[in-house]
Amino acid sequence: MKQNNHFPKVALDMYMMQLAWTLGFFGIMLIIHFWRIGRLTFFQGDEVDTFYNSVFTTANIFMLVIGIICIHFLPHYVENGVTRKDYFKGALLASIGLSISLPVLAFIISSIIKAIVNINYREADINSVIQEIDGDIGDIIGDIVQAIILSPHVDLSSNWLLALGVFSLNLFMYYLLGWLISASFYKYDFIIGIVSIVASILILMFGDTMIRIALDLPIFDRFSALASLPTSITLFVILLVILLPVWIIRQLTKRVTIKM
Amino acid sequence: MNVKVENLGLHYGRDEALKNITFELTEKKIYGLLGRNGAGKTSFLSILASFREATSGSITMDGEVPFENANIMQQVLFLYNKDYKDESDNVKSLLEDVQRYRPNFDIDYAEHLIKRFKLDKKKPLKKFSKGMQSAFNVAVGLATRAEITIFDEVYLGMDAPSRDIFYKELLQDQADHPRVFILSTHLVSEMDYLFDEVILLHKGEILLHEDVDSFTTKGAKVTGSKDLVDEFVGSKKQLNTEQLGDTKAIFIYGEFSQEERKAASHAGLEISNLSLQDLFIHLTGEEEEYETK
Repeated sequence: MKQNNHFPKVALDMYMMQLAWTLGFFGIMLIIHFWRIGRLTFFQGDEVDTFYNSVFTTANIFMLVIGIICIHFLPHYVENGVTRKDYFKGALLASIGLSISLPVLAFIISSIIKAIVNINYREADINSVIQEIDGDIGDIIGDIVQAIILSPHVDLSSNWLLALGVFSLNLFMYYLLGWLISASFYKYDFIIGIVSIVASILILMFGDTMIRIALDLPIFDRFSALASLPTSITLFVILLVILLPVWIIRQLTKRVTIKM
Repeated sequence: MNVKVENLGLHYGRDEALKNITFELTEKKIYGLLGRNGAGKTSFLSILASFREATSGSITMDGEVPFENANIMQQVLFLYNKDYKDESDNVKSLLEDVQRYRPNFDIDYAEHLIKRFKLDKKKPLKKFSKGMQSAFNVAVGLATRAEITIFDEVYLGMDAPSRDIFYKELLQDQADHPRVFILSTHLVSEMDYLFDEVILLHKGEILLHEDVDSFTTKGAKVTGSKDLVDEFVGSKKQLNTEQLGDTKAIFIYGEFSQEERKAASHAGLEISNLSLQDLFIHLTGEEEEYETK
């Protein structure tokens, strides 16, 4: 029998499909973006964020959603004779590819729009928001909401490569956590599914804090004790925080029963 | 591909869905898997297809464990009554998808079948009727030409003319490209001529696995006057009895010798063969009938 390695095919197929969804998402974001530019130009509305910054604040949720959808490819591939392992490897590669492509595409589109539409864009300092709200709410729910909404942000003009890298990392984490949640629901019952959501939020908050410490960005008061950690340790912990959901997803899907 | 199943068992919590399943499929034939609702057919087939793992026992295909084995899994195809209500892709793109992952897939043959079943290639699958979705499944099943092709009741939703097309295409394609087909069905009387061998699953266990011809010769119906029939049948395994006045018919599972047949004929008794359907009904249904009486 011919030895067939299916995972590169799975990776390419899933990447292309999710890239198409990403372009759809960009289409909607572009409509909103131009509507806001139009409003500013003709009716003197609010200031407009750059396209890149608009995508930065919304793409996490987009990645979370397509991460959740990712589990539905598992029965599809097993039905087509692909192993769970090849599905896992393919889907993981596709999600890495997508996490890298999305910020680059957003950056390119944003630069083109800026070159064509010459207005004053708001340079929002996304990281400072964290402290403004922190003092007012200061409770755990406030922290959780912020952790979900606000991701570590590096300004494009200060270090574009680092900025894109951190953006990619955020997206990748959201995708993994969406995938982790849906894989838990797929394999187990409702209760464990809910536990996986809580675990995902904790992983996200902890990972974000580590990234913030490594980048010297403001962090939640709750984690202030960790602020003095040396960068080498935080980078290592960040790696572990990425590998943890990857490992859990593989364990969840390794021998899972395909639902019919 | 040689399929060997040994002492296979499956538990759902405390329920034992399958127990001690042992058999071997050595030839490229069409195997009929018969069993009543809840007998464990789908559970068993989903283990064969690596959709799930067994709780105990083993399966090997050509000496290798199929579960998570890329070489084996790409040669095993399992089709069931899948719900396509969310499938917005059309036939054409779905076939292209299958072609990407199945090494023996024959796209020309798939298109020939799609044409015969009169399916619109450009229509999303979710807009097809249940029967047309089944026909699509059947077309994929035949055109994939997987070494082990498993159909789990996929033809149920199809109308009679479509089923007839399927049976003809199945026999023709099996003649041209022999492989292992496993068909599970309730439509026993309609499909019996397709099977080379039959496997009877009852309450999670294999009741029998035999060549269809030798199996059906084991079933007989002895009809005649009540006392004579009772005396003639003696201690043979009785599946069922029917009585109208003094005339009695007893369904037997077991073979008659030439002498026995002659003696029956002399005594004015009639011995006729049972169909696969009759055997299926009485071998798997008898117990409950008596229990409810």
